[in-house]
Order: sequence, then structure tokens, then C-alpha cells
Amino acid sequence: MAPKRSNARESTPSTTATSQISTPAATSTPSVPVKSTPKSSSGNLSPQEVALSIWQNYLDTTPQRTKLIDVFMTFLVVVGALQFVYCVIAGNYPFNAFLSGFSATVGQFVLTASLRIQTNTENKAEFTSVSPERAFADYVFGSLILHFFCVNFIN
Amino acid sequence: MTAATSDSLLKKSTGRNTRGLLRLVILCTIAAAAVASRLFSVIRFESIIHEFDPWFNFRATKYLVANGFYDFWDWFDDRTWHPLGRVTGGTLYPGLMVTSGIIWHALRALTLPVDIRNICVLLAPGFSGLTAFATYLFTNEMTTSPSAGLLAAVFMGIAPGYISRSVAGSYDNEAIAIFLLVFTFYLWIKALKVGSVFWGALCALFYGYMVSAWGGYVFITNLIPLHVFVLVCMGRFSPRLYVSYTTWYAIGTLASMQIPFVGFLPIRSSEHMSALGVFGLLQLVGFVEFVRAAIPSKQFGTLLRGFVLLVFAISLFGLVTLTFAGVIAPWTGRFYSLWDTGYAKIHIPIIASVSEHQPTAWPAFFFDLNMLIWLFPAGVYLCFLKLNDEQVFVVVYSILASYFSGVMVRLMLTLTPVVCVSAALAMSYILDSYLTVKSPETPESVSSTADSSVSGNGSTASAKKAAKQEGGLRANRQPLVGIYTLFSKISVVSAMTAYLLIFVAHCTWVTSNAYSSPSVVLASRLPDGSQHIIDDYREAYQWLRQNTAEDAKIMSWWDYGYQIGGMADRPTLVDNNTWNNTHIATVGKAMSSKEEVSYPIMRQHEVDYVLVVFGGLLGYSGDDINKFLWMVRIAEGIWPDEVKERNFFTDRGEYAVDDRATQTMKDSLMYKMSYYNYNSLFPPGQATDRVRGVKMPEVGPVLNTVEEAFTSENWIIRIYKVKDLDNVGRDHASAASFERGNKKKKVTKRRGPKVLRVE
Amino acid sequence: MRWLLSFLFLGLLGVAQALSASGNRLLVVLEELDDKSKYSKYFGDLEGRGFQITYESPKSESVGLFTLGERAYEHLLILPSKSKGLGPNLTPKILLEFINKGGNILLTLSAITPTPTALVSLLLELDIHLPTERNALVVDHFNYDTLSASEKHDVVLLPRPDTIRPGVKNFFKGDGKGGEVIAFPRGVGQSLGNTSPLLTPVLRAPRTAYSYNPKDEAESLEDVFAAGPQLSLVTTMQARNSARFTVVGSAEMLEDGWFTGEVKRSVGMGGVGTDAKKVKTCNQAFAKEITGWAFQEIGVLKVGKIEHRLNEGVRSNITNPKIYRVKNDVEYSIELSEWSWDKWVPFTPVAEDVVQLEFSMLSPFHRLDLAASGTTTNSTVFTTSFKLPDQHGIFNFKVNYKRPFLTNVEEKNTVTVRHFAHDEYPRSWVISGAWPWIAGIAATITGWLGFVALWLWSKPVPLKLTTSGKKIQ
Repeated sequence: MAPKRSNARESTPSTTATSQISTPAATSTPSVPVKSTPKSSSGNLSPQEVALSIWQNYLDTTPQRTKLIDVFMTFLVVVGALQFVYCVIAGNYPFNAFLSGFSATVGQFVLTASLRIQTNTENKAEFTSVSPERAFADYVFGSLILHFFCVNFIN
Repeated sequence: MTAATSDSLLKKSTGRNTRGLLRLVILCTIAAAAVASRLFSVIRFESIIHEFDPWFNFRATKYLVANGFYDFWDWFDDRTWHPLGRVTGGTLYPGLMVTSGIIWHALRALTLPVDIRNICVLLAPGFSGLTAFATYLFTNEMTTSPSAGLLAAVFMGIAPGYISRSVAGSYDNEAIAIFLLVFTFYLWIKALKVGSVFWGALCALFYGYMVSAWGGYVFITNLIPLHVFVLVCMGRFSPRLYVSYTTWYAIGTLASMQIPFVGFLPIRSSEHMSALGVFGLLQLVGFVEFVRAAIPSKQFGTLLRGFVLLVFAISLFGLVTLTFAGVIAPWTGRFYSLWDTGYAKIHIPIIASVSEHQPTAWPAFFFDLNMLIWLFPAGVYLCFLKLNDEQVFVVVYSILASYFSGVMVRLMLTLTPVVCVSAALAMSYILDSYLTVKSPETPESVSSTADSSVSGNGSTASAKKAAKQEGGLRANRQPLVGIYTLFSKISVVSAMTAYLLIFVAHCTWVTSNAYSSPSVVLASRLPDGSQHIIDDYREAYQWLRQNTAEDAKIMSWWDYGYQIGGMADRPTLVDNNTWNNTHIATVGKAMSSKEEVSYPIMRQHEVDYVLVVFGGLLGYSGDDINKFLWMVRIAEGIWPDEVKERNFFTDRGEYAVDDRATQTMKDSLMYKMSYYNYNSLFPPGQATDRVRGVKMPEVGPVLNTVEEAFTSENWIIRIYKVKDLDNVGRDHASAASFERGNKKKKVTKRRGPKVLRVE
Repeated sequence: MRWLLSFLFLGLLGVAQALSASGNRLLVVLEELDDKSKYSKYFGDLEGRGFQITYESPKSESVGLFTLGERAYEHLLILPSKSKGLGPNLTPKILLEFINKGGNILLTLSAITPTPTALVSLLLELDIHLPTERNALVVDHFNYDTLSASEKHDVVLLPRPDTIRPGVKNFFKGDGKGGEVIAFPRGVGQSLGNTSPLLTPVLRAPRTAYSYNPKDEAESLEDVFAAGPQLSLVTTMQARNSARFTVVGSAEMLEDGWFTGEVKRSVGMGGVGTDAKKVKTCNQAFAKEITGWAFQEIGVLKVGKIEHRLNEGVRSNITNPKIYRVKNDVEYSIELSEWSWDKWVPFTPVAEDVVQLEFSMLSPFHRLDLAASGTTTNSTVFTTSFKLPDQHGIFNFKVNYKRPFLTNVEEKNTVTVRHFAHDEYPRSWVISGAWPWIAGIAATITGWLGFVALWLWSKPVPLKLTTSGKKIQ
């Protein structure tokens, strides 16, 4: 399940970009910053430009820590995809090793995603009792447990 | 801790401390009451392990304590399932044994050397106290009314549905599993509410503990995803949901795979697929939400929704394909029997033969839950009234558990917590509504009745007191409906009080009468009312222990395997861990066939003694003749040509043991062993079977291949020794006939051509 | 201590005297004690071989096979008696009990004195059938002794018996040169049932012999009891506990007269015996062999040391462990000796025969030939080594060596074969297939560590950014 989703995630920027042509990005979302509005509303842009603008938008508006998280998640997706591809090609002979290796990556990915969600300022309302510091501590706690189980399981 | 967490609602800081203290005292009293009500069996009988499965758990615990954890993990038990042996360490849920082992070591470290048996006996009551506490926490998450939690704790503490599996001596997996179940649910709700990785990870850890303790963990594995699925379908997806569920699933699944017995099941078996599917679904939904937040558009949204549905359909299709391809294990028989109650009877008699797996009889609900059963729907309805994420959980839980508890008696246990919680919600709602006005009469009536009640329900009364104190606050927040007159308030409150008192009385009665018998020791009443202990089981096991070789193999029906292993310390052929249907069927075949057929089977399996349980003399209905048809059915499942159930019924379709019994029945080893020499107890022609209530035939059965070795005082246990092959090469029938003094008939004229010797 | 010593001494004495593997107390049951002079040579031989012989009449009160529930004798020789029964002390039940307790019986029959009913019913229990006519005897019109039975043809002459089938040791062959003649005068033939595997005929009647009732006046025989090789003249039965029961059809052949007497063969089928000369019978030698076998002086096997041990490259020093693991390499050895008249000698199976080892649980998983790997002064060591099957359970090392004329060897050593313990599987870094995933975990964890480090290190910077981000919003 997860790898599909990860791959999908990898590929979606382009899909979003292509579908963007017909529908100019709406301006009503609070998350879309003011700065980028003129760019996207100017209409009739080539897909590359749209992609570029989104990328630029992302670079501009995302906090550095979130960027860090995104880099790490991308890394995890790559590691997970590699493992999955290897498993499909070469078989999963020590099944426990495959499981622990792969699920370590997947688990780490979802934990990191959780951290991203929790630290995202947009979701502040959802997590009244979870401050970013608390979120990070929880994240470390969860990851350590995850790593322990994985290492134990791979034997 | 309790006080601290639940007191944030209170306005006045002066009352906070006293209320917190009061609540703590009440909870302690509840725990004490829960423990105390489970001690009936120890007081009535003695500190003894009950029934069947606990004997194995007890034996395993002793092994663990004696040999350490790693030996226990690698334990190959060569004294069960002879001659196959059992990879015990890898085929059990070690949570229970490890828990008591840890307690034992901890107590020793505190220089309190306690016999491991006592720890095992008292583990279940001890954990029931913790269960009550966990229920309190769980209920507190559901409602703002603090009285509900206390009420739920009381209900949980004394509900017979839970007591049935947790009296002292009932050292079974359920003893700790119910606590873990409730606590895991509490942590789940907590994680969902807060949306924190920490709580999710804790929930996963306790889930892992639960997996190590009981096979019923599958219930959690399916309930939580179902809850999440329902929430998503209701459009209640939230980042909190994503965080808590994915954390729980990622860590919980890995944790569950650490248990050798579970191993790869979470990836392979169908029962776990829903959790995996929901995990994938959440990733999709989360991703969609993420994208939608970034680039909002109506059409785009629908496009994405279509994409989600497509992926969902594809993965479902893939799942089905994989199942058919055999990569994922198909549904197990036990699972099918959950949907079709008749399934097991036809296809897997071994599952159907277990009394715990029978469908629940309706009176059992009232018997086990009493008034909670009608408060339960009201509680669920209240949950519908203000539907938050956690209320949805209660609704989902109650629907699922109600269904399953109707299918299998055993699953009544999983229903009990939610019934207690819902009933407590309803009850506290009623009490809160009707105890609002500070009228002097009402509290008086409550406290006076409470004082008059016995110690067991003292905690109930205190809980109500607490409820009363909170009442004023609670009522302000609800629209004032109902009747304001003092009369109606008093009448409703007193009615409820009466119900509560009756409930307590009922629970005490049920516990003391129905659930406190160890079943190893039977109690009967003499005409003068005094108690008479029938101790045939232990008498027989002691005989085995003292009079047979240490490696003498005992064949018996599987029900007694654990007890023989535990009490007599002799290897057995089959036991209550019914993992090998063929082996059990072999024993069934040996029991239900003629001696000539059975003997080679017994020789092959190196059987030295055969043990049967016979209740005919005493009227003990749980004997082997009454279980005999299951043996026949199970054997027929493997050898349909050699054993036929039909042949054990008379022409009129009756299962008879008297003169009308069929020849197959009379020839079967089980019949012969049960009634061998039974005639000699009675005057000629007077032999009566008191269980079946029939007169036995004048001439009793004759046994050739086995000889009677031991019969207990009340003839409940009969042990036979399997004879060796005849020394001079005769068959057993003629050897026995010679022993009886019959001369062999000289064959003067042979029919047909003489058979010549070839060498 | 002293009694221990005296027991030891007694044991030594026993070894020195007992020339049967089981003991030397022999009870001879014969009707008239005076009759024993008829068998003086035979008894002399027995005493010469070290037997302590007690003579009793079946009628006497004192005859008893058991004292205080234990066998009073190891061996019992029953000579024919005229009385119909053998009295209350020698009922079939008691005789069977004697066998069941390990006693050996040599029973002799005679056509002159009818067999007592007690013995007939005992034989019937053992699936040995006697002719229904009480006086039936074995006659052969082609192989009789012309000197003593030229008219009646009831002294049958036979060669030494052949091996009953290949791979069976023949104790009754004499020196094996052939040409020896056994005289079987006026004997009772037995027919053997087909079901019992414990029965083995030693001496079978020639093809032309048959059982005949001299009282029968009829001209032609209609229903012959048995004829040819179906008629067994000397039958042995070895019980499962290796107690031996031997039936000699003619007691007369043990008499002094036939030990030394000379016989001359009649003309047989195809004129084999036309130029037969007078020869001395070999009854004495044959009697020694048959008695020696019956009283366990020959053909007795003894199991010495049985050892099984782990042998994985290096031989383990721990012998006979209780537990093995699946796929262990083990070595099994068993010492076998054979009692030959007065001493234990190394046992060697005859050609075409081999001692086998079974490694079985419910059914054999391995059945292996045991090879003789060495001999000591009085035993042979048979060894084999093999790999245990990949199946856990309670297994038996089983040597089940049961051959005619040799005592039964049934040795069962139970061992538990356990599964791999959790730390006996190859660790995943040993399996090359697992390396990618180990690398995966390692990458994840190092990535995570780096991420955490970066996160903590970058703390001050993003604070600004987030605030700025907020400002933008």
C-alpha cells in the first residue's frame, strides 16, 4: 500500500501541474500566499511555468523545518521504493528481513508525516495540546520504539 | 493521577482536592470489591488452578520460572502430543506466563518469596482491579460526567460476564487480556483525541502486549480500523486521525510480529488485512487532503476522489487475487464460524465441539449482565446524541461486540466492557438528571440504602454519592426536561437505587454459585445441606503420578490433556491445544472403533494407559459418553470410511447406551471402557446409568486388549492399562478367553482346502 | 557390604557353572523315575554340560514350577507319560505362565503313549496341532530303517535339516558335511498353524512321510492329518520374551538305544538308497543341538553398550543425550554378543542378513544397515551415523532384530528431537539475501539520526522563518 502511495506522491507534482492548466489556481485558500497570486492568476502559462511557480511558491512559503522534513520524507520514499523494487525483482527470501527493512522505512515515513502535520502551523487548531516541541519529543519516542522493533525483528 | 486528570473540569479549587481524594478512595474500594468478589472459589475450595487451559498455563509458568525466559522461548515440550511433541515456545501467547514470571521475580527481589501457584491463582483477580481502573479512564474519555467513570468501574468490577473468566484460579489468557483490551482502547481514544504520536505509540505498545497475551487481539486489530473507516466515511477525517492511526499501525504491527506465534500473520492472514487496508486508505485520504489544501479546486477534488476510489478498488481486487493465489492465508475456519454458526458443525467438528464456541443462549445475556443489558442500548443512544469521534467508537464497538457475543459464548467477554461503559453512561445520565435539586430526602434515601448494603456494594453507594455531588454542575449544562416534582425524582432515584442493589446481589449470587467452581473438584450437597467434595479427578491423577512410569503415555480425550500434564505429570497424546486435528481424530478413532482396530493404533502411539471419564454412577453429565459423538464426528472427518456417525444411532435415530444401543456402539472401546464391570456394582439386572437415566444390559462388555488399572471412588475416572502383545503370539481375544478358562475348540474338520505353511 | 560381596561371588559361581545363558536348573518330568535309565546317555550329556537336574513324577505332590511366585527352574523337560493328565501342578495355564516368565520347555511326544490332554490344549494355544487320533505316528514308505522297522516303516530316517530360508542361521547342521542320518522312531508329527510368526519347524518330515493311525483298519487313507514337509517332527516356538518351547515328536530318539544304534536306509524315491550301508545315527549330536537350543545354550543374543551421540565434525563426548535438534548428525552404535555353549562370542549375522537400525516416530524415518565397526573379545560393535530428519518429535532409536532361532533383540532408546532454537537460525547478516534490507534499515536509521541532528541544529533559524510565514498569512 504504502509504496504505491509514495510513488504516487512522487509523481503527483507533474499531474497537478498538468491539470492546473484548465483550472487556474483558486485564490480563496488561506494557505496560498499573497505573493504568488499575481503569478498564478495571470492565466495561460505553460505547464513548466506552472510547475515552476508552484515550486517557487513552495520554496517561499514553507518553513525551513518543514522543508527539512520533506527532504527526509523524499529520502525515505526513495529508500522504500528501492527496497520494494528489489523485493519484486530478487524475491523476499529472508522474509523477516524484508519485512523489517521495509516496514522500518514505511513506519519512519508515517511518523515523519505525522511530525510534519503536527508542526504545520495550519493544523494548529487540530492539535491544541501538542506543541511543536512536544511533537518532536513524541516523534523521537515513536521512532526509537520503531527502530528497536525493526532491529529486533531482523535478528 | 486519577484525580489529577479528571479534575480539570471542576471550577472550585477548594473542592478539587477533596473530590480527587474521594475519587481515589472510591476507585480503590472498587478494585478491592472486584478482587474480593473473585475469591469465592479460594474460600469455598482451596487455592487451586481451575478447569483445563489454566493448567497448561500454570505448567508453562512453572517451566518459565524454573528455566528462565530463553529456555521458555525455545521450549520443546516432549510430554504432550506424543509422539509429535509441541513447539510450545512458538505456539503460545506468552504474555500471561511472562507477566506472572515478572511478578514472581519482583516479589522475590522484594524478599517476598511467594509460591508461583499463588501468583497464578490470584493473578486474575488482581488484574480485574486494574480493569476496573482502565474502564474508569476509558469512560472518562467518553463523557464529561465524572460519575459515569466510577459507575462503569463498578459495573466492570462485578459484572458476571467478566467474573466468569477471572475468578481466582482461572489462570487463563483472558485474565490479563481484558485489562489490556480496555486499556488499549483507552489509549486509542486518548491518542485520537490528542492526536499525538506519544499516545499512539503507547497504544501500540499495549496492543503488542495484548497480542502477546491473547488470540483475541484480532478483535482490536479489526475494531480500530473499523472505527477509523467509519470516521473517514462520515467525513470526519482529521490530521489527528492520521497521526494516531498510522503511528498505532506502524508500531503496533511491528510489535505484534515480535511474538513468535503471530510471526508474519499480520501481513499474511486475512483477518489482519482490514487494518492494512485502512492504513493504505488513510495514506490516500491524507494525501488527497494535503493536495487539496495546497491547490483547491472543485473539479480537481472530484478527480482526486475518483482516483482514491480507483486505487481502493484496485487494491481490493489485488487482495482478493492474492488470497486466491494463496499468498495471503484465506480465512480460517474459526473465522467462518463467526459468520455462519452452522459452518463449524459441518466442516470443523473440532471447533464446534468446544463448549465455549457454541452460540450464546439468550438467557446468558441476562445472566451475565443483568440490568446492564437494558441500560446498554440507552447508553448507545446517548452516544448518538452527541456524536464525537470517541462516541463513534463506542457505537462501533457495541455493534460489533453484540454480534460476536451472540455467535460465541466466549466472546461475551469482549462485549462486557462496552456494556459496562454504555450502561454507566445511561445510568449516570439518569442520576445526574434526577439528582439535581438539592432536596434533603433524596440523598438521604441513597445513603441510607447504601449503608445498609453489604460490603460488596459499598463502593456502588460511594459512587453514587460522587454522582450526587457532581449532579448540580451537570444539570446546568443540559436543557431542563423531565418532571421537576420531588415525588418523581425520589421515585426514579429510588428505583434506580433498587436496581443497583439488585444488580449487586445478582452479581454476588452468580459469582458464588455459577462461576466459582474449579471443575477439578466437584461439590455436591448432602441431604442435610452440608457440602460434600468429590475429588475423583485429583485422586486419579495422583494415582497416575504415583503408580505409573514417568514416561507412561496416557491416552484420553483432549479435554483432559492439560490436566494430566499438569497434575499427573505424564505425557499425553492430545490436549486442549487443539492444533492437530488429525492427531485428535486418531484418538477419536481409537476410542470409537472396535478393540481390534484400536489396539494397533494404541500400540503405534506407544500408549500405556487409557483414561476415560464416566459419570454414570454419580450422574455427572460432563462425561466421555456424552462427548462421545464429537469423537466420532472428528474421527469421521478424517476416516469417513471407517467411522460412521450413523452407526452409533439406533434405527429410530436415538443415541442409546442401554439394550437398544447399536452393535457399533457396544463394540466401541469407549463404551466398553465406560461400562466395564459396571454391572458388578448392582444386583443382577439393576445396573442403571444415572446420567442417561437408563437401565444397562444384563451382561456387561468384555475387554480383551486393555485391563482395568484404576477406578476412582465415584467411578468418574477409569484408567485402563494397554496390554502388551501376547507372549506366545495369540490374539488378545483368545488369550483372554484362555485366561478365563475356556478351552480352545479343537478344529477337527476344516472347511475348504487346508492352508499350508510355506516355510 | 559383605552380602554384596557374597552376591558377587555367587554371581561368579553362577557364571562358572551355568552353561546356559539363562541358568542351569532343569526339571525333568517323567512318569516312572526308573525310566530315566533309558535316557542315561542323554542325561549324562546334560549333566556334563552343567545342568542341575531334578527328576519328578507328574503325580508327585512336590512337583512345582514356581516357589513363592518365582520360577523354581529355568528349564523344563517333559518326557511322555501314560497318564491322561499331568496333574494339578502342570496345567496348561501353569506351563504358559512358566513360558511367560521366561522358562524354557522341551516337550517330547511319543506315539506309543498318548499325549496328555493338558499338553494337547497347551499346544493348541501355541497353534501347534497334533493328530486327532491318539496313536497316530509318522510313517514313510521310502525313508525307513530297514533294520528295525522293515514291516511297519515307522522309524523314519532323515538327513540333517536344511536352513529354512536364506539369511537364517542353522544351528542343527552339525559339521555340515552331510551324510548324517537322524532316526525318528515312532514319533508324532505336528502341523503348524499359519498365523503365528513365532513358530519355526526345525525338522520336517520327508516328502513321502505322512501321519498314520495304526489302529485304523481301513485299507485306504481318506483324510490324512498332514503329509510331507507340512508335517513337522521337531518344532520350536520362541516366545516374545525369548523363552523357548520345543516339541520333539519322538521321545524315543533321545533314548540310549538310538544314540548309539545303527540304521540302514530303505530304498527311497528314485532308488536313492539302493546301496545304503549300515550307519550310526547322529541322534546324540542332534539331541545336543536341539536341547542346547531349547535350553538357551546357543542362539542367545545379548545387547551390550548402546551409544548414540552427536557427531558433527567432532564426536561429542556426551553419550546418549536425551535431546537432539533436527538435522543433527548423530552416530549410533550397539554391541551385540552371542552365547555359544559356554561363553559369549562376538555376534556376526549370517550372510544375507544384516542388523538394522530404525529411527522412527510412528513410522520409521530412517532404516539403516548397521555395519560391524569393531569387535571386542566377546562382542561386535555395530555402528552407523546419519542425519536426523527435519521433523521434531519424540523419536526412537530402534533395533528390532528378530530372527528364527536367535533370541529377540528389541532395543528402543527414546530421544527428543527438538526444533531450532531461536538463536540457532542463521543471523540475517549471514544470509546475503538479507543485506539489502539491512542496508535499508541502516539507511533509515542513519537518515533519521541525521534528520534529528539537523532538526535540532537548525532550531534557531526556522523560528524566524515560521514567524515570517505567519506574518505573511
